[in-house]
Amino acid sequence: MHNERRRSLLVALLQHAGWLIFTLLGGGLISSALVRHAPGFGADERMLNPLLSRNSIQVLAGRQAQQSNVATYYVGYLRRLFHGDLGVSVSVGRPVKDLLAERIGVSLRTASAGLALAWAMALAMVVVLEIVRRRSVLGLWCDRAFTTVTGALLCLPIAVLAIGCFYFGGTPPLALAAILFARVFRYMSSVVRQAAGASHVLTAHAMGESALRIAGWHVIRPVLPELAALAGVSISLMAGALIPVEALCDSPGVGQLVWEAALARDLPVVVNITLLITALTVVANFFADAFRTMEEA
Amino acid sequence: MRRAAAALLILAFLAAAMANFLAPYPYSEQFRDLPDASASRSHLLGTDELGRDRFSRLLYGARLSLLMAPAAALLSVGLAILIALAGVVAGPWWEHGTRAVANLFLSMPWIFLLLVARSLMPLNTAPAAVGVITFALLGLLGWAEPSRVMVAAATRYLRSDFALMAQASGCGRLRLAVVHLVPNLVPLAMAQFLIATPTFLLAEANLALLGLGVPEPLPSWGSLLRELESLGAISANVWTLAPAVLLLLVVSCFHLAVSSDKCVL
Repeated sequence: MHNERRRSLLVALLQHAGWLIFTLLGGGLISSALVRHAPGFGADERMLNPLLSRNSIQVLAGRQAQQSNVATYYVGYLRRLFHGDLGVSVSVGRPVKDLLAERIGVSLRTASAGLALAWAMALAMVVVLEIVRRRSVLGLWCDRAFTTVTGALLCLPIAVLAIGCFYFGGTPPLALAAILFARVFRYMSSVVRQAAGASHVLTAHAMGESALRIAGWHVIRPVLPELAALAGVSISLMAGALIPVEALCDSPGVGQLVWEAALARDLPVVVNITLLITALTVVANFFADAFRTMEEA
Repeated sequence: MRRAAAALLILAFLAAAMANFLAPYPYSEQFRDLPDASASRSHLLGTDELGRDRFSRLLYGARLSLLMAPAAALLSVGLAILIALAGVVAGPWWEHGTRAVANLFLSMPWIFLLLVARSLMPLNTAPAAVGVITFALLGLLGWAEPSRVMVAAATRYLRSDFALMAQASGCGRLRLAVVHLVPNLVPLAMAQFLIATPTFLLAEANLALLGLGVPEPLPSWGSLLRELESLGAISANVWTLAPAVLLLLVVSCFHLAVSSDKCVL
């Protein structure tokens, strides 16, 4: 029985890993096809150089012809990618890897602080609301007020939230936290509320256990797999929110780099960073799924 | 509450459809002696920094946003229905394949995909064409989420009694899909449509605020929100917040309408 459970766990983890590899290869294929078909691809200024001999120009043309096949280009693209070569920016003429290295620190700091703040706020609010809601009418009104406010936050574009936060003196991590808070809070609150209505929780209340112990041990702990899934999703949400936050709050991170590249039609930068972000979200979701699978097993 | 939301939505759509008659001025007409004017009888919401009537631009913007976002939602839901029906005809391999591709699309942050797609657009495209292409892109890239729901529903219906009975009485897969499954998928498609429309409204607004939405002089609610980038303009004239408030109202109404068990629209 124990071996069977272990085997099913292994199969589930292998399925997740297979999905991870498929997504990365599929994302790579889409990325390479987009770069390959981008306007201006294959145009080499050196071929216009009158000082080059006919043979040299033929060699350059031959190299370009090799790249015209999407499949060949994709294999070469993957090989370069595995060697850490992300291509060269069209707009600034520098390797994408160098541009990323300069900005990734800022984005990581913003993202980690924003995520931590949003989760801490959401978790604290959910636990407090769950404790207060059962005790008084005021708790019910607080709950309704929070639902309305977070609902309104979800009805506004994330770029407007970023601008609003910036005007009120907020930093980029605060803006990111404001954007993520509403999304995390709504899901967490619904999951926790469902768990709080379970019969074992009612029994714990009847047995006179403390509210904090019930919230932590009987409500939050059983929903850890769902919260792990939410953590995976919030990485994806964070990646999406990073662009407006960094672009509108003038924070020199990867989000701002992608935005500037999109305005300048710099496809190698946009596509390669998109692939990296996809890889990041897929890996985050892989770990979240793996954790959930192990918890459920 | 839900009926009020539906009534407000109908009102907004009517105003958008009749923008030509309701707007006092054309959306690009400039009053050069009145830039950044505050609200008055001749300009209900004041004018923008180029002296254009804000109320007229809001109405014309509503026409673009409120007509194109549902069109994009229709496109993505239509694609989702086609994928689900193709799965019924083609068999389980199609279902597994489309599910894998949908998951791949859902793994990519949508804003990055949109930026990539918008970067491919030539710079000399006409504003109206950019507006249509932007919403078409939203519709084409938004197929993954509704398709997962529709494919799952089609698979469930395929195993239900009425489908098995139809198959047993010699009904072909194509006929089964078109005659028996489509009517059952319509309510689900309607719900997906109501979910996708506000999502596309917000997506266009985000793109516009990043300078990648509908270009000037054509107004959309997203492009009107660009006025919020100047703090001075907001403090001098609070009416600059009108597009944001309207967007908040309309998106809330969509959420309220979709939150009912029985669709009110």
